[in-house]
Amino acid sequence: MIALENIALRQGSFELRDISLELAGGEYGVLMGGSGCGKTTLLEAVCGLRKISGGRIILGERDVTLLPPAERGVGYVPQDRALFPTLPVREQLAFALVLRELGQADISSRVDELAELLGLTALLDRMPGKLSGGEAQRVALGRALAHRPSVLCLDEPLAALDEELHDEMCRLLERVHRETGVTILHITHSPSEAKRLAGCHFRLANGKVQRDE
Amino acid sequence: MSTPAPSGFRVASDKPFLIGLCVLGGSYLLIIAAMVLADLVFLNYNDQPVLGPEMVQQGRYSGGEIAVTLEPSRDYFFRKGKNDAGLQVGEQRIASDGLFRTAGGQAVLVPHANDKPVTASLRPEARVTQITVSNRVATVTTDVAHGLLWGEFIRVSRTGKPAWDGVREITDTTTNQLSFAVGPPSRQQAVVTAPTAELSLSKPNPLVQALRSRDIRFSIKLSLVSCTLTTLLSLWVAVPIGYMMSRFEFRGKPIIDTLLDIPIVLPPLVVGLSLLILFRYMPEWLSDTVVYKWPAVVLAQFMVACAFAVRTMRVTFDQIPQRFEQVALTLGCNRRRAFWRVIMPQAKGGLLAAGTLAWARALGEFGPILVFAGATRQKTEVLPTSAFLELQAGRTEGMLAVSLIMIAAAVVVFIIARTLGMKRIFA
Repeated sequence: MIALENIALRQGSFELRDISLELAGGEYGVLMGGSGCGKTTLLEAVCGLRKISGGRIILGERDVTLLPPAERGVGYVPQDRALFPTLPVREQLAFALVLRELGQADISSRVDELAELLGLTALLDRMPGKLSGGEAQRVALGRALAHRPSVLCLDEPLAALDEELHDEMCRLLERVHRETGVTILHITHSPSEAKRLAGCHFRLANGKVQRDE
Repeated sequence: MSTPAPSGFRVASDKPFLIGLCVLGGSYLLIIAAMVLADLVFLNYNDQPVLGPEMVQQGRYSGGEIAVTLEPSRDYFFRKGKNDAGLQVGEQRIASDGLFRTAGGQAVLVPHANDKPVTASLRPEARVTQITVSNRVATVTTDVAHGLLWGEFIRVSRTGKPAWDGVREITDTTTNQLSFAVGPPSRQQAVVTAPTAELSLSKPNPLVQALRSRDIRFSIKLSLVSCTLTTLLSLWVAVPIGYMMSRFEFRGKPIIDTLLDIPIVLPPLVVGLSLLILFRYMPEWLSDTVVYKWPAVVLAQFMVACAFAVRTMRVTFDQIPQRFEQVALTLGCNRRRAFWRVIMPQAKGGLLAAGTLAWARALGEFGPILVFAGATRQKTEVLPTSAFLELQAGRTEGMLAVSLIMIAAAVVVFIIARTLGMKRIFA
């Protein structure tokens, strides 16, 4: 689950106060809102990349407010994907697993499993510079899922994809959600995307999060 | 005659703009290329003859021509100045620079116009009149003063004996005599006898002289070692500072930013002087091991080179988005691991650039070294110091030779850096 309780944070002159949000475990939540209303900032706060000045963050029954990002058990896919330019796809997928000092066999079986799920098997030895937009998006997704996080944070994952890929990625996200049972918080501009994917809709406007039924 | 009127809007040609770009850019590139080329062309790569004293009296042309007496079957070296038309020997007119030989007799210098200073030079080539050998040291007597100095090099040729031919260091001189060791050093017992054939002496070209000189060999070595040490030290410091300045906001950051630029803005000589003054306040054992010793060379180079490395590293880190670290943090890295696993691999190109820049700056550093480390031969002499000492001794050619060595060293380092950089790109 994801629960934000009365969160306050500020970034320069921009300020969010008293933000609360609750998403049950295994649900697919979509957060919408206009440009510059603080969606990305809020997502970064969930991941622990931005300090909050008040409130509590609870991820999967744990209060993670004071934990560093590494210990929160989140998977983060930023809008620009940020694939590590110096590592081939295989090592991107294995990144979190190597940090957890898993055995070689465990790592390669998990990487194969992810590649299977996301259709990356043929691309494992490619460098990120040689991937198309849709492929890069799938790698970023796989990298974030590798360590089996309880929460997956997606920042506009379908922006900048063309119509056909868009549809394909939607199906893939549904499949990932179904097969892994991870709680997903997904930021988007697109109402149609929200309608299609989400079980739970949130809207961030005027410094408040509303739950749309 | 009328051409159809152009309808409506027309755009001016791009040609003037493109030509302008080429001219402006090209002129700078041309100067760079010409500068290096001039050095390479100016240096005379041939051996030079050993010449006796000047035979033309200084003064002005005053109506009459200036006469000198030439011996028959002897080589003379003539250099025409800007006021002289040439040297008239009987029917023969010598108007080009170089060695010549005549039947002897009276020669006159022909001026362009009267009342101008004499600018020509005429000198006899020194001939060997006697060779003696004792204890494997040859002493050669010349018929005129040879003008060579102890420690310079001489090429001995046409002796007909392989043990004699080659470039030798002059170990002793008088006005008319010079001594050098003969024979290969490995065969101590070999009996060396004077050659019977004519022995010819010449001065090897300045590059050979420089590369054979013990002082310059030392300065090449010191330059290479100190520059490499400086580069490693600079990167060691520049990486953390660059990363800190790029990633963190803290109080007093603008002040630190300014401080970091001081070595770049300060005149280099002042950096050296400031270091010298600073070490007056240091404990004696420390200043004794640093000042006027080789550590001073490294420290003087480091102060300036490091500032450039810091700047380069900071720009490098600025260009790597924070996103990479953020993702790495969510994946299970702490800051240290994110830095080493994600940021440093991306900063390799910048690291290489910073290292090359620091190395090149260190190689060219002169002022601070002169002040802080001195210019002691075989102790604190680096290549720029050698160039300066050569210039001071009036040997432009020697200075040029040292400059060429520096150019070569820089080119080699840049090629290595580029090749490493290419590997990174094409890997």
